[in-house]
Amino acid sequence: MQTGSPTAATRHVRHVKRADSQSAPVLLIALVVALAFSAVAAQVLRFALFSRSTGQRANLAEPLVRAYARPDIVDRKGRLLATDLATHSLFADPTQIIDVDETSELIASILTDLDRAELRASLADRSRRFVWIKRQLGPAEAQSVHDLGLPGISFRTEPRRIYPQGRMAGHVLGHVSIDNRGMAGIERYVDETQGLESGFSADFSRPPITLTLDIGAQHALEEELSLAVAQFGAAGAAGVILDVNNGRVLAAASLPDLDPARPVESLLANRMDRLNTATYELGSVMKIFTVAMALEQGLATPGTILDVRVPLQVGRWTIRDIVQSGRPLTLREVLIQSSNIGVAQLALRAGAGRQRDFLSHAGLLNQIRLETGLLGQPRIPEKWGEIETATIAYGYGLAVSPMQFATAAASLVNGGTRVRPQLVATQGLLPANAEPAQSAAVESQRIVSEKTTAAMRDMLRRVVAQPNGTGRRADAPGFEVGGKTGTAEIAARGSYHAKSVVATFFAAFPMSAPRYVVLVSLFEPKPDAGDAAKRITAGVNAAPIAGRVIARTAALLGVPPK
Amino acid sequence: MRIAANLIACSLTLASAYFLYAESTATRRLEAKIQAAELRREKLETDISVLRAERAHLARPARIEPAAKAMGMRLPATDDYIEFNRLLADGPAPSPQQAR
Repeated sequence: MQTGSPTAATRHVRHVKRADSQSAPVLLIALVVALAFSAVAAQVLRFALFSRSTGQRANLAEPLVRAYARPDIVDRKGRLLATDLATHSLFADPTQIIDVDETSELIASILTDLDRAELRASLADRSRRFVWIKRQLGPAEAQSVHDLGLPGISFRTEPRRIYPQGRMAGHVLGHVSIDNRGMAGIERYVDETQGLESGFSADFSRPPITLTLDIGAQHALEEELSLAVAQFGAAGAAGVILDVNNGRVLAAASLPDLDPARPVESLLANRMDRLNTATYELGSVMKIFTVAMALEQGLATPGTILDVRVPLQVGRWTIRDIVQSGRPLTLREVLIQSSNIGVAQLALRAGAGRQRDFLSHAGLLNQIRLETGLLGQPRIPEKWGEIETATIAYGYGLAVSPMQFATAAASLVNGGTRVRPQLVATQGLLPANAEPAQSAAVESQRIVSEKTTAAMRDMLRRVVAQPNGTGRRADAPGFEVGGKTGTAEIAARGSYHAKSVVATFFAAFPMSAPRYVVLVSLFEPKPDAGDAAKRITAGVNAAPIAGRVIARTAALLGVPPK
Repeated sequence: MRIAANLIACSLTLASAYFLYAESTATRRLEAKIQAAELRREKLETDISVLRAERAHLARPARIEPAAKAMGMRLPATDDYIEFNRLLADGPAPSPQQAR
């Protein structure tokens, strides 16, 4: 009976065989999987053991909002005046902060200038994901905060504007905001003409803004003005050195000065730019325009004799000379001795209309623009009658900025052509469609003839070279300095104050072929302690400063002594 | 036959996964290298900026001029200049022996 059906042993053998045949692929797959995992593990081990550590970490605090990178600003010889440096700014993500009290206390213990209550309130505001704590930290502060390892607190790298020359040319350079945007001066000009690059990158391919300034001349001018302010107890001073042929400004200073790294200083009333934005009646320096007008219009020659012995009556006003000559003077002597009566006679001879036209043509009546902005609007009389004609002839009744005066006066010694002041020599990335008003510094417009300018050079040289010249203290041996003094009383509350003056000296050198003009103004100078006569006229304060500035800067500017 | 096909497919899948994984890892390594290089470049550029600023600060006239004066230097005077044409006309300067 058992032959027809398989025994239990046979069934068992068959079952084992089937199980063997089914487990073979499973084993194979398991083997392959094991091999695959081994390969992956080997790969991981290979990376762990043999890959070189770079020692670098990606900056996890990638900026959320980028600041602006600016081009460098350099002087005419490529010396650095302003540049960007990377600094760390601290911010928080309040949602990531675990313990607000501890975090705010620890941070405030390092950044002691922060308001603790305000900081805590900011960090506790979980509705915000980004809160500035402090921007542009110093390296030590940043490291200390970093070492705290606080969650939710991060840094971002931002550019910070640095001025390696310190306060030098502060009024010219202007300043930037915390976001590195230009707010004033050349910094603002950069934004307006070139735009900004978002984000911090020291882009070395971006060309710098090259100014016409020479930091050697700038330093000499600023130092001499500072010494003069201290010596004469002046409220301020201004000065400029200008290339007579192309209007390039080699040095420009206004005291009290500004630190471009401390923008808040620009808000102080006494830090105004006295050179460019303020306007003043400049006194007798204006006589050079009256004399040039008389020569140009054929009203007089340098040898023309003018009777200045008696005061000049104009309406109900009497015009007098500070120093009575007691004899008639030639036109040349009128300028050398700075006779008010003489130039008033000339102006009256020309008349109000011709005087106004001449001064307008010379560029003294219209507001002009420099890269740093508009110069101060000239203040001209509402009614330009006979008395105004006479007083403007010697510098009262017309107020202009010292920069505008220097620019216009350059035309009287450079051969007679108009120049415009220029602070930027080259503009790296000027857009193609930009039309900078200053690109053509030299204009072909003629102000006076060659003959007039030659006569003016001769007379201005005599003002300095002759023993009785009002500007004799400005002489710098070897540099053929010429110039003119001007002392103007400051108007206040409807009258002039004799003891409160603006003392100005306009100089040019070398007078045989002028290359530069120098203008120096002292505001409200007091008598020098050693001066028994207690004089506050430009001949004793502004003129010597101009002479010293020329002596110090001529070699730097490429003018050898003769 | 079916088992062999499954095995081959499985092997190809694993090989592809491994290949993709390896490529991804290599890409990440390369990215890390580039990032490290960029960080290094930025650091070097920052260092250069700092050095340039420091150099400009150290070379400012307000610092150099007093130092130069302390060393006995002075502004050139009229006598320190000689015109090149005059130099040619006068001939070469005499040697010390000739001067004697």
